[in-house]
Amino acid sequence: MKTKFKILIPALLIAFAGCEKAPSINEEGNLVPKTVEFDASLPAVAVNGTLLHAEAFGNPQDPMVVVLHGGPGSDYRSLLNCKKFAENGYYVVFYDQRGSGLSKRESKDSYSLHTMLDDLTGVIAHYRSSSTQKVFLLGHSWGGILATSYINEYPAAITGAILAEPGGFKWDDIKDYVGRLNSYSFFSETFNDVTYLDQFLTGNEDQQAILDYKLGLAQATDGAPDSPLGNEATPPFWRSGAIVNRSLFDLGKKEEPDWTTHLNEYNTGVLFVYSERNTAYGLSHAQHVSSAYPNVHLEMIRNAGHDMLSFDEGFNNFFPFALSYLNNH
Amino acid sequence: MKTFKIIAILCVLSTSFANAQTLNWENQQAFNGHILSLNFGWDYGSSWGIGYGYQLKSSLPIILKADFSTPFGKTNFDDFKVKMGAEIQWFKKGAFAFSTEVDGVFRRFENPHARLLNFGSYMSATAGYYKPKWFVAGEFAFDKAIVTHFKNSAFIHELYPAIVDGWYEPATGGNFSYGIQAGYTLKQNDLTLRLGKVIEQDFETAPTVPLYFQVGYNRRFGNTKQH
Repeated sequence: MKTKFKILIPALLIAFAGCEKAPSINEEGNLVPKTVEFDASLPAVAVNGTLLHAEAFGNPQDPMVVVLHGGPGSDYRSLLNCKKFAENGYYVVFYDQRGSGLSKRESKDSYSLHTMLDDLTGVIAHYRSSSTQKVFLLGHSWGGILATSYINEYPAAITGAILAEPGGFKWDDIKDYVGRLNSYSFFSETFNDVTYLDQFLTGNEDQQAILDYKLGLAQATDGAPDSPLGNEATPPFWRSGAIVNRSLFDLGKKEEPDWTTHLNEYNTGVLFVYSERNTAYGLSHAQHVSSAYPNVHLEMIRNAGHDMLSFDEGFNNFFPFALSYLNNH
Repeated sequence: MKTFKIIAILCVLSTSFANAQTLNWENQQAFNGHILSLNFGWDYGSSWGIGYGYQLKSSLPIILKADFSTPFGKTNFDDFKVKMGAEIQWFKKGAFAFSTEVDGVFRRFENPHARLLNFGSYMSATAGYYKPKWFVAGEFAFDKAIVTHFKNSAFIHELYPAIVDGWYEPATGGNFSYGIQAGYTLKQNDLTLRLGKVIEQDFETAPTVPLYFQVGYNRRFGNTKQH
């Protein structure tokens, strides 16, 4: 009996020593990267009462191009091709919007559409080197909507805008577009891959790491072959912002915003691009949405899907139009 | 004490399996043998399933169950759920009956970004009105994802090299569901319907599709007394 114990006890000790503590589902950094709140090594700016993941490239004295990512809740990682404008005489500013990407997470009830505009004002003020420095907005998808909302509110503050497939500037247009995007068959792999996950992972509004990871898994649909988006793959991302996404969509449903009310005062030309392969968008939707601007130049980006700025071929086809537009304004 | 232990074990077992086999307890009352079932509907995805049940020879009606279900889609069996457990009828007065089910669940999910394996439990309580030819009942259930293994794709590891694969704790999810079940019985056959709502364990958040729906068919093989 004693001999058995002599063997058993060391064996158990070795076995337990070999057991690592299971990672926690709630811990920042396990399934999603830490935000600027928990990782001081990330570049960040303190703006409007929050902390935003942000960085800039190029000469700070050059005309500024502020890049606005989509989502809401996505991040600027997929738009880093736009750094190329810095090599062509522009000061390119990237930031993850409030509650998005690697920016600090906030509570759901703290988000408002106007707060997002105030954040943009804060970012421009942080990076702007003089009051005469030109400021362009380059917005992709939701970022194009945010840019338009900003121009609608502060038309004199913005030198020009490049808008890449914004869903719409009125709630009904956004709803129509999102409806077409989500028109998957109930029996499809893509649709079931999103919904089946709900029995594995749930989280309340305070468990944002779980919700962000879950949204990141759902983003596989962005590169799915049956997705209307027409992307060649899932665009790269840091971390999705599930709560800001949910909050802004809920606000949209409740407030049914119209961001075109003052656009007729904005006579500056706007470059509006849409992709060849996004079957939920297309020329007619692009014409309809862009017509809110009095002076618009519309271009189709060939061999590209919705995330046209994230992949080489789409970006290379977009870049000459964008650079020409910036140089002429 | 021994009886209590057996009942406790059965309760724990029965809480871990989803209620894929919807039964007419009036007919089960007089039955001993095997039950095969087929079903399809919406269970966190459009899905189909098969089930097997065996009713024990016991004074308290007890059915041991095993179910398999999988969602539709291009890739077969990359996502699925297996449940095993027992359903026990605790109370019957006239046509009214009350039963509980406890099941153990194993489920798998895979998409281009990750593969998840989960061990969980399912518990349900059903109270209804059971006649030889038909039944209608209300049900309340809790489905818990207790421990989950995450294996992220090469793409996700490239995006975030520090991501940690492995078994995660504490429990990663849980959903309550409540609804109705009804059925029509003809000899050894049942046609059944389940329909209800799903809400996350915080009682606030709704899943992407906050509903469940199931149409099922059961066939009994065994000894049944004639009504």
